Amino acid sequence: MFKFDRRLLVNFDWTLLVVLAAVVAMALANLYSASYTGFYGTPAYMKQIYFFLMGCCAILLIISFDYRALITVNYPIYVLIIVLIIIAMVFGKTTAGTQRWINLGFFNLQPSEPAKLSLVIALASYYYRKDTGKGFSLKELLVPGLLTGLPFVLIVKQPDLGTALMLGCVFVSMTLFVKLRWSTLVTLCSCCAVIVPLGWKFGLKPYQRQRIETFLNPESDPLNSGYHIMQSKIAVGSGAKFGKGYLEGTQVHLDFLPERHTDFAFSVLAEEWGFIGSVFFLSCYFFLVFLGLNIALSSRDKFGVLLAFGIVSLIFWQAIINLAMVLGLLPVVGMPLPLVSYGGSSMLTTLAAIGILFNIRMRRFLVGTN
Amino acid sequence: MRQVISKIQKINEAELTELKRRVNIATLIILFFVMILVVRLWYLQILRGPDYVKLSENNRIRMQWVNAPRGNIWDRNGKEIVTNRPFFNVTWVREDAPNPDMVLKKMAVILKVDISELLERIREGQDYPRYVPIRLKEDIDWKTLVYIENHRYDLPGIRIEVLPSRKYIHDNLASHLIGYLGRINQKELNDAKNVNYQPNDHIGKLGIEKLYEDKLRGEKGQRYVEVDVQGFEQREIAVHEPLSGNDIKLTIDLDIQKAAEDALENKGGAVIVMEVNSGRLLAFASSPPLELEEFIGGISQKAWDKMQQNIMHPFLNKTVQGQYPPASTYKMVTALAGLSEGVINQDTIYYCAGSMMLHGRRYHCWKRSGHGAVSLVDALAQSCDVYFYQVGLKVGVNSLAKYARSLGFGTQTGINVEHEKPGLIPTTDWKLKQRKEGWQEGETMSVAIGQGFNLATPLQVCQMTATIANNGIRYRPQIIESIMDESGTITEKFEPIEDGRMLGDSKSLGLIKAGMLAVVNGERGTAKLVRLDGITVAGKTGTAQVVKLAQNKNVPEDEIPYKYRDHAWFTCYAPAEKPEIAVTVLVEHGLHGSSGAGPVAKLVLESYFSDRLVHKEKDKK
Repeated sequence: MFKFDRRLLVNFDWTLLVVLAAVVAMALANLYSASYTGFYGTPAYMKQIYFFLMGCCAILLIISFDYRALITVNYPIYVLIIVLIIIAMVFGKTTAGTQRWINLGFFNLQPSEPAKLSLVIALASYYYRKDTGKGFSLKELLVPGLLTGLPFVLIVKQPDLGTALMLGCVFVSMTLFVKLRWSTLVTLCSCCAVIVPLGWKFGLKPYQRQRIETFLNPESDPLNSGYHIMQSKIAVGSGAKFGKGYLEGTQVHLDFLPERHTDFAFSVLAEEWGFIGSVFFLSCYFFLVFLGLNIALSSRDKFGVLLAFGIVSLIFWQAIINLAMVLGLLPVVGMPLPLVSYGGSSMLTTLAAIGILFNIRMRRFLVGTN
Repeated sequence: MRQVISKIQKINEAELTELKRRVNIATLIILFFVMILVVRLWYLQILRGPDYVKLSENNRIRMQWVNAPRGNIWDRNGKEIVTNRPFFNVTWVREDAPNPDMVLKKMAVILKVDISELLERIREGQDYPRYVPIRLKEDIDWKTLVYIENHRYDLPGIRIEVLPSRKYIHDNLASHLIGYLGRINQKELNDAKNVNYQPNDHIGKLGIEKLYEDKLRGEKGQRYVEVDVQGFEQREIAVHEPLSGNDIKLTIDLDIQKAAEDALENKGGAVIVMEVNSGRLLAFASSPPLELEEFIGGISQKAWDKMQQNIMHPFLNKTVQGQYPPASTYKMVTALAGLSEGVINQDTIYYCAGSMMLHGRRYHCWKRSGHGAVSLVDALAQSCDVYFYQVGLKVGVNSLAKYARSLGFGTQTGINVEHEKPGLIPTTDWKLKQRKEGWQEGETMSVAIGQGFNLATPLQVCQMTATIANNGIRYRPQIIESIMDESGTITEKFEPIEDGRMLGDSKSLGLIKAGMLAVVNGERGTAKLVRLDGITVAGKTGTAQVVKLAQNKNVPEDEIPYKYRDHAWFTCYAPAEKPEIAVTVLVEHGLHGSSGAGPVAKLVLESYFSDRLVHKEKDKK
């Protein structure tokens, strides 16, 4: 007979829940403003609420089983996601020249989003099994390299530079975290020094190269990505100290930023709430990231540590890249801000990842017991 | 799984210390990046904030959507029916107007409207942010536009918005088929996934405009402009040109459509002209037409009420939505059933004394003095009811229904037009299901002459006529010939679709055609009026009873109230020896097929055969 273990509740991370709720509430209010036309309400905002509720169901589902079971199912999940990416590429919906979505009727699934989380689980499982404490050799990195490389190549083909870049960031972060041999590190750095220029010349599509060039000199291309960066900076900067007020952001509402409810959602927030509001929001947001790190630290087993760290790095890098892009510190790469940008697949993936964090925290007392 | 889970060991102290160290490094890295973001925010919002505020207020780069020219609609010969014209609206951006009262007072005078009307529009838009334009008036004239443009610096916040709208070259020609545009509503906005519609955009609401919205629409372009503090354009930075919508070529022939609509003027009804060997429609007229110009920019309540109150119901597309008893035009079905089921042949004679008795009840022929002894061909030519009563009784209602269906009755034809009605072909099962009553023989007699429960649309009657004319192939009625891109290249071509075959053999068909030929050309035919010099027409008249009114029995026809008068049918094909077109006319409350609908059909036939008629006249001279 099923018996509920009260220790699961005692170990539940209530602080993380409160911070998560606060961040999502701010994000939804911001999305309402970003897609607010003043005419007929906002379907995007309502949809995001539905995605959030679906994500809450996903969290409940995830915390109901022991996270350590992921070790046994990590490869089936990984294979399933790869198959979904291929389906999206072959039969998926094409929007603006990219083929990333599978129409499920009630919403369009972007398999490259859950691919990020499945990579974290796959890498955590591999490193947990193989870690001897001596540091990884180049040969031992072949498998995680392939695990990362396969979705990376498929997603670059879509083409979706932002998501592919994210997979690379997750791989590098987790690999450095588990410790590398010095020889491996030197070899990898040397390879990068050779591959990056070659990749720039032959690997990137012209539009991707142009984005980076535009970033270095936005005025050279006042349209498209240069236009985005300029307008985003004007929007953020004109928020000044206290912002223009909720729903009053002229820059974002006057049809400047075609992606203001997705990648440039933070521009809306910064314009309407100013420096004070933006810093408050960032504090809450990164407090959530630190709570994730704390869960990694408090985990009693290495798999839990790796998994929690991988999830934190996934959320962190996406956030940093998106925010740096919005603030004009990085080129426009098409990267959502987790929990804040509009998008069902991103919201569900992020909440599922946070569900795993809750799970690790709740079951720390079970480690070492049968 | 349990085994794997139980193998997971607790971290030992040494490992824990090492992990803590790495997590701390990660924390520092995160803090470092967060600090960069905060410093960047401080730089943009505090240090350079005032500059950006100025930029945002004084020189905004705005991205404006540029509407795509909507595709044109042509007739089959490439003559324009619908094109585009610019459509100017006056909008007001409150944010740019420091003294709103003064502006509104001025605008009320310029636009010649009461200030309360403008205030009402402002009230409707008061929940919008102040930078969202509020529309004050749609479709202003050129004089007003020039005045506003010349005085724009005295009218802060007032803007002119240009939208592409429709120009109807031939006024209301084919109005039910073409349809109209209207302002997009919330449901349409929600349904339009992945299409760049904005509130206030125009979208097809009816007819071809609605059904082919995705083809006609085109793709919007973008315009990047720099505007000053008052929202006035300073310079254009760049333009992404819009993509024009596709043009649609109809199967309609403009001249024949015109002839049909002219012939229907001041009448309620429908005219359909179909090519018998393809199903393509050359005319598709419903009268009275819709006043298309009234719909531009949103129809006024006054114009709406006027159309609603019109007793001829302009909102009804009578070609496919009007369901009427097919009356004597249905006698071809009864004849086909009788011949195919073997209950009659070309030599079968029935005697018509002006009526016949069944179960103690008298059933009249339209000719009270009777037709005497008639064969099938005579019965069709003179439209003898008694003959077909007898055939109907012998065949039975279910058999009649079977042949009617093979000619396309009782179901939608499949034409790509909205709201098509299926009509009704009764059977014994239908009555049991619908009315919980058994079938009466007397009802079979009514059905046999196209009265009683029978209902058909003019399009179905035309399809039947074309099917008979081409010896039994039922083509799907077709309204679009092709779709072309802006360079004129055909992107989609619509070929004829065969939807089925008529039941019955060619011998039966020959007799029916002989009967139809005699209707127009026989000595006693009911449609001698429709004869054309040099073109042989074969057809059938019909008079559909609207209501049985004893009080109207001895009243002169022109004194019967309009709504109680019978409907007039005439359906025909020509030339009889090698049919090209089928023409069906229904005139609501037109009294008699021969006098009410026949002349309309004749005008349409003359239009189609005009070159040949002229040619023959020249030959005579």
